[in-house]
Amino acid sequence: MKIPPPSQNFHRSVSVWFVGFLQYQTAYRIQKYLANLHGMANSLNEGQSNDGTILIVEHAPVYTTGIRTSNDVESEGKKLKALGAEFYRTNRGGLTTFHGPGQLVVYPVLNLKNFNKSMKWYICKLEETIIQLCKSFGVEAGQSSNTGVWVKNEKLCAIGVHGSRYITTHGLALNVNNDLTWFSHIVPCGIPDKGVTSLSQVSGKQLTIANVINPFLESFSHEFECQIKMLPFKVREDIVNHLKKERLISSATEEQLLKNKAFISKQYS
Amino acid sequence: MAVCVSVFHKCRRLPSTLLNLRPLVLSLNAQSTRTFCSTNALAARKYTEQHEWVDVQGTIGTVGVTDYAQGALGDVVFAQLPEPDSELNQMDDCGALESVKAASELYSPVSGTVTEKNKDVEETPALINQSPYEKGWLFKIKLSKLEELDALLDEAGYENHLKNTGH
Repeated sequence: MKIPPPSQNFHRSVSVWFVGFLQYQTAYRIQKYLANLHGMANSLNEGQSNDGTILIVEHAPVYTTGIRTSNDVESEGKKLKALGAEFYRTNRGGLTTFHGPGQLVVYPVLNLKNFNKSMKWYICKLEETIIQLCKSFGVEAGQSSNTGVWVKNEKLCAIGVHGSRYITTHGLALNVNNDLTWFSHIVPCGIPDKGVTSLSQVSGKQLTIANVINPFLESFSHEFECQIKMLPFKVREDIVNHLKKERLISSATEEQLLKNKAFISKQYS
Repeated sequence: MAVCVSVFHKCRRLPSTLLNLRPLVLSLNAQSTRTFCSTNALAARKYTEQHEWVDVQGTIGTVGVTDYAQGALGDVVFAQLPEPDSELNQMDDCGALESVKAASELYSPVSGTVTEKNKDVEETPALINQSPYEKGWLFKIKLSKLEELDALLDEAGYENHLKNTGH
């Protein structure tokens, strides 16, 4: 199925920033900054142009867990760090999952006030975005009673989000060509009898994140009925300056964040 | 609301505390008794625009989320509730409800000190979906500023808010 190009008639407009390879905590700090920005605009009733920002990242190996942490989370964390990964407890929904190179991680910081104020709706739309994306690669993926996107009994994309005053953080992680053996050290999302897979595996194609980003944005634009534009340089600069002031990034990361323009095609610039 | 109705249902046995009310109780039929009781309870319940409700008896408020909220969340699988003795200001983040891999923050509708959290809901979060105004209550709080209730929405105001904000 061919996904039609995004209609320019959608009245909503979401910004996108592909930051590339970024440390988990730094990406979270950027989400918090954006969430604050959109939240404040909401409370000042600045309804226009406050639809949201999508952050697209790739992480070094990291395990994260959600608000439903078990009592032995400290020992689980130690065990996972010993494997060479980072480990973080977060405030998102969902249980333990893994992020690593070759996995498309998307954090939509959306203002649900301008979409549909239901978490159930939001999660469903994220799932449908990935399902449509898979179709464009010839893969039949679907939903199940467990959140996420599945191909038969194997999970292709994990979802875990947080909502505060209608602003969302965290998001989804789509396995593209990442090393799936990292998942063998956890019960992914707490579901013991199901496996994991990647888009490369199920499509039989050698795919990388670069192949998937633009189809993802097209699918998102279609499902969420919004235009997508590059996050303006001024906003990126403000975020980088904020992170610098709080001494949260190195100068190498600063340069990467300000100059990185990878993989976004002309229609989103 | 549940407490009110069950007391009047027990009136037939008339516990000693209610004996002095006997003539008044027997002159009302069960239907109007219930109506009187529920109107009273609704008048006590106030709402926030973030879809929390608070039902104040004396200085203790019982807090929960509305029927609209539980529908919008989906099946609640986990409730993170504030601990007893924690001090809250109005609109402070005080917990979260998790459903379908989404954690939605809870806000305290009033300032005060938490006296109790609902352990039944911690065990069985689905109570929030099944009974958002009764068994699904989340926590109780001793109000420090009763006047904050004046700024909250009553039932008509909350229904209006749902209509106006395009639900």
